[in-house]
Amino acid sequence: MRDEADIRQRLGLEPGTPPLVALRGIGKIFPGVIANADVDFEVLPGEIHALLGENGAGKSTLMNVLTGIYQPDSGEILVGGYAQSFAAPQDAIAAGIGMVHQHFKLVQAFTVAENVHLGWGDTPARISAADLEARTAALAATLNLAVKPGAVVADLSTGEQQRVEILRVLSRQARVLILDEPTAVLTPAEAQELFVALRGFVAQGNAVIFISHKLDEVLEIAGRITILRQGRKVATEWAEDCTERSLAQLMVGRDIVLSDLRGRPDGVAGPGAPVLRLEGVGLKGLLTGITLEVRAGEILGVAGVAGNGQRELCQVMTGLARPTEGRVLLEGVDLSTAGPGKVAAVGVGHIPEDRLASGVAPALSITDNAVLREYRAPPVSRGPWFLPRAALALAQQIAGVAEVAVPDFAMPVRNLSGGNQQRLVARREMRIARKVLVAAYPSRGLDVGAINTMMRYFTELRDQGVAVVLVSEELEELLNLSDRIAVLFHGRIMGVVEGAEADLDEIGLMMGGQSRNSQNGDSQNGAAA
Amino acid sequence: MNLHLQRLPSARPGMAFGARVAALVLALLTAAAVLAAAGFAPLDLAAQVLRSTFGSRFGLEDLGLLLTPLIYTGLAVAVGLRIGAWNIGAEGQFNIGAFCAAGVALFVPGPVWLLLPLMMVAGAMGGALWILVPTLARAYADVSELITTLLLNFVALLLVYFVATGPWLDPSGHALATTARLPVAVPEFWGIVHWGFPVAVALALLLAVVFAFSRWGYEVRISGSNPGAARYAGIPVTRHLIGVMLLSGALAGLGGMMEVAGTVGRLQGGISNNYGYLGIMVAVLARAAPLGVLASALLMAVILNGGIILQTQGLTTNTVLAVTGLILLFSAIGDELAHYRVIRRQEKG
Repeated sequence: MRDEADIRQRLGLEPGTPPLVALRGIGKIFPGVIANADVDFEVLPGEIHALLGENGAGKSTLMNVLTGIYQPDSGEILVGGYAQSFAAPQDAIAAGIGMVHQHFKLVQAFTVAENVHLGWGDTPARISAADLEARTAALAATLNLAVKPGAVVADLSTGEQQRVEILRVLSRQARVLILDEPTAVLTPAEAQELFVALRGFVAQGNAVIFISHKLDEVLEIAGRITILRQGRKVATEWAEDCTERSLAQLMVGRDIVLSDLRGRPDGVAGPGAPVLRLEGVGLKGLLTGITLEVRAGEILGVAGVAGNGQRELCQVMTGLARPTEGRVLLEGVDLSTAGPGKVAAVGVGHIPEDRLASGVAPALSITDNAVLREYRAPPVSRGPWFLPRAALALAQQIAGVAEVAVPDFAMPVRNLSGGNQQRLVARREMRIARKVLVAAYPSRGLDVGAINTMMRYFTELRDQGVAVVLVSEELEELLNLSDRIAVLFHGRIMGVVEGAEADLDEIGLMMGGQSRNSQNGDSQNGAAA
Repeated sequence: MNLHLQRLPSARPGMAFGARVAALVLALLTAAAVLAAAGFAPLDLAAQVLRSTFGSRFGLEDLGLLLTPLIYTGLAVAVGLRIGAWNIGAEGQFNIGAFCAAGVALFVPGPVWLLLPLMMVAGAMGGALWILVPTLARAYADVSELITTLLLNFVALLLVYFVATGPWLDPSGHALATTARLPVAVPEFWGIVHWGFPVAVALALLLAVVFAFSRWGYEVRISGSNPGAARYAGIPVTRHLIGVMLLSGALAGLGGMMEVAGTVGRLQGGISNNYGYLGIMVAVLARAAPLGVLASALLMAVILNGGIILQTQGLTTNTVLAVTGLILLFSAIGDELAHYRVIRRQEKG
């Protein structure tokens, strides 16, 4: 009881203030998986409460229980101190609990005003577009969210779409706003705007549940942090008592090394001879004059704001796109027109940017997906025949190395968590990456544990003498791993810096379009200083 | 105590099968209720249908004749679905297959042992040719095959009407709207059921094996499920799409050949008898599985045969369409519901 009083005192609440929402002893079991067990979780008025955990730790299930999408197998939900049961999401909305999902649920062809009013009991049955927009503008003003009521959602940036989602939730008098990885799709500036809006929202006695993988962000925005691991609550801590390191440890239950991974173990040589060479590569104006070399046993980082040619660069390197200018050479052999199958066959693996769109066939079995790179050769196929039993054996082997527990290999791969899918894809690609691995945003959407596994995979490959190209928007990740970092801007390479001497400001300037040459003198000074 | 529905990511096999059975029963019950309301005795009708279909050798032979073309068109549509292509044109390809086979039989002299294989090739090639333009349009210009294959059905149907009542009309003058009896026929296999039936079953088995146990089948599976992933893996998606769609047309065309040279014996207008459209139903009910096509084609054949009997009782052929529609509707609902399970929860306090 002392603790509870203490918590309320620190939040500036009267003793005995009931939590806006509390979950008591929540348990949820899916066939073969305990998604949640005995989870206690409460949100008090005026707090931003972060929910932290690895992929598959049970965060989504817990929030689905709270928003009425799932019904718990045990435990209860208290709203304002009273037990409630939500048979459907509408019940949760009526109780003042709203969620903004990671993938927005907006009608792209509708205007902002139409989206806000869609499926809402308060929407007048007959109303003109102008009135609808006026209502939306009024709502947005009271909630202090800048939106353009008349704009069509498809034309909006991700940050603006997110504001529409938040407006839609808040307009239904939500007092508890749940945000699922809200900053994953935002630029740093947009994220800061969001944080300001969230602080304003909780200052009125409301609460935010903030789900994220990004530890620094959680520490910045949250008051309290609840950590889940394997479906159970590990701890609820005050953010000021935590560090990134302590949080990471709580999440994965082991110590995490967030540090320089450039060092090689004894007996492993540094970067060797060039393996992959791009000579003046251009692609329909999306890439221009890319000349780049990746050496054996080297990790080459590619930095840049997303959309500056990273996708095209990966496509050209892996044969998915034919360069319209220049050549792509692997150990001197021209692969510019070889096509993806041939490029993979000569030892180039590729962890694609959008796993679900191109890395796997989500509806097909784990086995079918696991053998995607090796089905052409024995043992998976013999002559024209595909041998399901051999395919299963290979899939089991890959899942074993990837440390992914698979209850049923005939299950569609989409039933696996994102982190597990990524591990399988990564391990599948590592098997064929004898010469080069091109990894695009391999840690996107993954938690600390899975990211660390990925990074370990890459250093392992590097130490085996494979050339690794790592495309990422996480500068910290690039700085930790890369021997050299190339910076892309508008389809051009602005410069290549040595990882050990890399300077964040310099890379930032290049990401913004300043070429290395034009500020070379400065950077030399900066590195020396 | 409280009952809740919970959605599972994938339906359990037992539930899926149970849902199908329930759907079939519900569709028949609905039809029976309507018939009863219209003054018929549904139980008597049902007994009569079952008796005359399964109760005699003649009934079974008729069933076999109805089943055969449904397997071909069902396989044709199912094969297309494997790579994500909707072949709504099996009806047209069936007609063209019959047309080409009849052309060979009527105008190419030669021994039966040579003519029959030639007719099979002509029928299959005709069907493939009929889907060629929609295939290329889909493969290279991303034109939906749904519309193009459908529209060509009417062209094929009218073409057959034209030759059967015009240039190829029976010169003997006995028949008004058909060609002369073809000099070559598919030999009989069991009673009046011709060899087209075992060939169809063999094709279903062969396709099942090929899809499950060949590299080509694997590549088609990936291409159909996610073309992006297939391209990434270096699978020639466009080539497979073309190959699979032509195969689909060829299967329907072969069905037309068997129909004209096995069951009917003459080329006549409307020879396709909606088999092409029913094939869509067969393939969808079978979820594009070749062995499933055998089962759903049998179901559809029983219903069609029942329809013929119902007609003798003063019901229109539309009754049959209504029943098949109901089965499809209830199956679709059932397939969706099979993803759910009911859970019981003890309320506290």
